[in-house]
Amino acid sequence: MHKFKLNPVNSFFAFIALGLILVFVSGKFDDLVVYQGATVMMFVIAISSITLLTGYSGQVSLGHGAFLGVGGYAAAVTRNNYNLPIIVCIVIGVLAAAIAGALIGLSAARLSGPYLAGSTLALAVGLPSIVNRFDSLGGEQGLFFDVGAPPAFLGEGFSPYRWFFYAATLAMLVSLWGLRNVLNSRYGRTWRAVRGNDVAAQLSGVNIARSKILAFTLSAGLAGLAGVILAMTLGTVSPGVYPLALSFSLATGAVLSGINTLGGVMIGAVTLVAIPEIADSISHRLGGSEVLTTNLPGILVSALLILTVLFVPNGPVEQMRNTRNKKRVHAQR
Amino acid sequence: MQINRRKLFSASAVIAAVALAASVMPAQAANEVGVTATSIKFGMTSPKTGAAAPGYEKIPGAIKAYFDYVNANGGINGRKLTLVSRDDQYVPATAVQNAIKLIGTDKVFALLGTLGTASTKAITGPAGPATVYKVPTLFVNTGFSGFADKKKYPNSFALLPSYVMEAKIMAKYIKDKYAGKKIGIVYQDDDFGKDALAGFKTAGLTFDTYVPYASLSQGVATVPPTWIQKLKTAGAEVVVMFGVSSATTALLGNAYAGSYKPQWILGSVGGDATTIASSKKIPIALLGGAKGLSFAPSPIDSKDEYIAKFMEINTKYNPGVAFDNNIVAGMTTAFITAQAVKAAGVNITRKGLVAAIEKSGASFATPTLAPLAYSATSHVGATGYWIGTYDATGGLNPDGGKYTVYTTDSGTGAVVESTWKRPAMPENGLPK
Repeated sequence: MHKFKLNPVNSFFAFIALGLILVFVSGKFDDLVVYQGATVMMFVIAISSITLLTGYSGQVSLGHGAFLGVGGYAAAVTRNNYNLPIIVCIVIGVLAAAIAGALIGLSAARLSGPYLAGSTLALAVGLPSIVNRFDSLGGEQGLFFDVGAPPAFLGEGFSPYRWFFYAATLAMLVSLWGLRNVLNSRYGRTWRAVRGNDVAAQLSGVNIARSKILAFTLSAGLAGLAGVILAMTLGTVSPGVYPLALSFSLATGAVLSGINTLGGVMIGAVTLVAIPEIADSISHRLGGSEVLTTNLPGILVSALLILTVLFVPNGPVEQMRNTRNKKRVHAQR
Repeated sequence: MQINRRKLFSASAVIAAVALAASVMPAQAANEVGVTATSIKFGMTSPKTGAAAPGYEKIPGAIKAYFDYVNANGGINGRKLTLVSRDDQYVPATAVQNAIKLIGTDKVFALLGTLGTASTKAITGPAGPATVYKVPTLFVNTGFSGFADKKKYPNSFALLPSYVMEAKIMAKYIKDKYAGKKIGIVYQDDDFGKDALAGFKTAGLTFDTYVPYASLSQGVATVPPTWIQKLKTAGAEVVVMFGVSSATTALLGNAYAGSYKPQWILGSVGGDATTIASSKKIPIALLGGAKGLSFAPSPIDSKDEYIAKFMEINTKYNPGVAFDNNIVAGMTTAFITAQAVKAAGVNITRKGLVAAIEKSGASFATPTLAPLAYSATSHVGATGYWIGTYDATGGLNPDGGKYTVYTTDSGTGAVVESTWKRPAMPENGLPK
């Protein structure tokens, strides 16, 4: 029997089908779930940017939330000062984050391991101070990012949160489809080669520095897109929207998803959104003590991280794939 | 048709009974979310856990305690007031999600006392849930003057005086009392501090030394010991602290360690004695002698009729929770909300509630010692402060034994001593 393989063309149609299913399913839920759905889509894009950077090119970033901030702020400033169409603001947000990523990538090409992780962390820590330096960025209160009412064809009174979900879903599908194709291209193979053994890759003719900078640029651009989506759903950008905790959440989500594969990003994203809800529900059932309410989300995330690292270190999707391959090899024998 | 005396009596009795029932029973609110024949539900999102929670986490409990007191006394217009409170940890994204939950899932009538500028801005901005669903956001807990702007935030009402007002009043006090002395300022290096600097500038006060510290948005504020050295070297004899309580704690602790004893003047946010004491990082006695500002009576002033009543309510309906500034703030919010509900009438609606505050809010009874400025064109709350001295237990006492209140605005208006006579506490602390 001919085996079905996802090439760029049929994966395109698969993504369209997935989008239609998501849009159809979203109609069954209220605004809260739809808002959370938009947040999941934002996390999918942001985690996939970490997967590209760390899982494929082998560079560690602990401050990726800063790139989300750059994207969000660039889009908001453009929207507020020049009143450009929202799609243009999104593109500018992505480009601004990509440029910031390229600049960081220049230094990243000379750093590795904890030094690179520390440098990117410093970026996220410094973001509020940078924002407060410039009055035009709105300081602690931030700036509005008003994308306007939903398009007229969706009907009067159409929920803006549903509209945000549609936009976030489209952004997620387009970016994931594009990223998947890039990772399966020459560039993806180059990044994997550099990650595996940079000396061997260099001997094979790979320009290591250029490869790393390109990965950082693309990853930051994706993070910038996630930052614009986050700003859109909140209607505002401020240092509090992109806190240091966001960077740590993204790193956590990437580990839960499986750092080496795009296949599990949805798992990490859903987990990040669901954990606070689950913790809230559990602590209320157990009496809602302050100590429990405060610590339970952290305990659940920590437990999941430990379990993931112990039992599925490459993530659940990669683990399933490996198990299936082993079974297949076993059956062929 | 002949009407005999018996029939006339029966008809009169029926009419009287119907009229009496109509006056006592609340009318069914016409299709208004969060309002039933017997209750009105409010929602609140604020930090109950996390770095910004200490002190503020008591506010929802204080609001609920006052509502419980009102409910035990028959409610407002026959309806009980209830509060659904959610924790946002001072994170705007969580605050927005909470607001959507409160409005969409919990079906609250209005939001109450949202805390933090960035969170409140996200909730009440153009794409915020309060705007999307046209839900009033009453008496926000932030001194950012923008929320009083009716054009930008048509459904939001401020309660606290703005940071600009506070700085202008502080500036007048410093110029009057400490003329010729060297003045320093430690301030939070964000819009909170910048609002204050703008107020000082408007009031014509410049400092000999400026010491900014990093914002709270990435964690607990810290003030390195080196900055004490900076103040000492500059010879600052009077130091203004315009920041949060964690920074005040670090400042006082480091100053004590460095044997530096200027005259401290603490802003209302950073001078919260309960929060400083609960941190257990410094002895509260270090606050002794510092000057502080407040817009409400001192929580230790049990002779004040509002404070006395709030203390009584707190003891009965919020047992085991120490009475302090945060309890006063929460009960003030609840007390004014109850009056707004009363003023909106039996057939209360969201639009009607906003209109009632605009029409009657300035004449509401209020514990604040400066007048409320609500009107058809203004959503500004309290408009002034009094200045006092902290004792060794952290209590703020008015200088000279009486409250001297100064009022001003967030613009270029002058700072004047208030002659406003605060309305008396309504009987039993219930709206009239």
